[in-house]
Amino acid sequence: MTAYLRGRLTLVWMLLVLVTFVSWWLGARGESGRLGVNLPLTAGVVAIALVKTRLVFWHFMEVRTAPSWLRWNCDGWLAFLALMLFALYRYSL
Amino acid sequence: MWFFVIGDLWIFACYFACYMRDRARNPELFQQGQELLSQGIGALNTVILLTSSLFVALCVQATRAKDIAVASRFLALGSACGAAFMLIKAGEWYLKIHAGFPESTDPFFIYYFMLTGLHMVHVALGLVILALLWRELRGAKEPRAQFAETCATYWHMVDSLWIAIFALVYLVR
Repeated sequence: MTAYLRGRLTLVWMLLVLVTFVSWWLGARGESGRLGVNLPLTAGVVAIALVKTRLVFWHFMEVRTAPSWLRWNCDGWLAFLALMLFALYRYSL
Repeated sequence: MWFFVIGDLWIFACYFACYMRDRARNPELFQQGQELLSQGIGALNTVILLTSSLFVALCVQATRAKDIAVASRFLALGSACGAAFMLIKAGEWYLKIHAGFPESTDPFFIYYFMLTGLHMVHVALGLVILALLWRELRGAKEPRAQFAETCATYWHMVDSLWIAIFALVYLVR
């Protein structure tokens, strides 16, 4: 088992866990008890989530070696999500 | 499987759009609801699902290498992480239900139960799919690597959706 655990996928997992803690730390900064929108925090949290999702697509789901139509579909979904989330968030500002 | 996965991703994108639209209309009400969630539990569940995804991806690698004993062990670990996710989520739900949130008309909690509930259904289905893969690994003379890839693709999609739900429901302010 250790031979498999020494590979690229474990490095990707470590990066994913690290950025999860970064986003949690960012989110905890928003738990101040003060209500109100926080654009930098939200931008950071959403950007981290999109990067994490792409890492899962690319490495765990092996989209990086998939046909181009699948790569474009996955990246298109992420781009749509990014634009849609930020556009709708802007309404609350 | 990929057509199903892409379709499901787009359906969830529509749910996320509805959530963000309603959140944009009343950010303070949503934020009050968010303050009642434990970000720590959300982060813990994220790490558990990411770990589960790693084990399932390694199971696929071991299946391709015809290292079936190792593949089975990785699959068992991945499934155990999935079950742990469901237990923690059920505990979180129990606390919220006990506090009377399901009866409230708070739109944030309606979205919270809808999004996490739909995701839980996907996790449960994912565990059934992983059980089918277990049967393939333990029962078939020559387990099919393509079958392992198909099952893993679904499981990783469940992980991807949780990453978005954790960010939008627990963290966004």
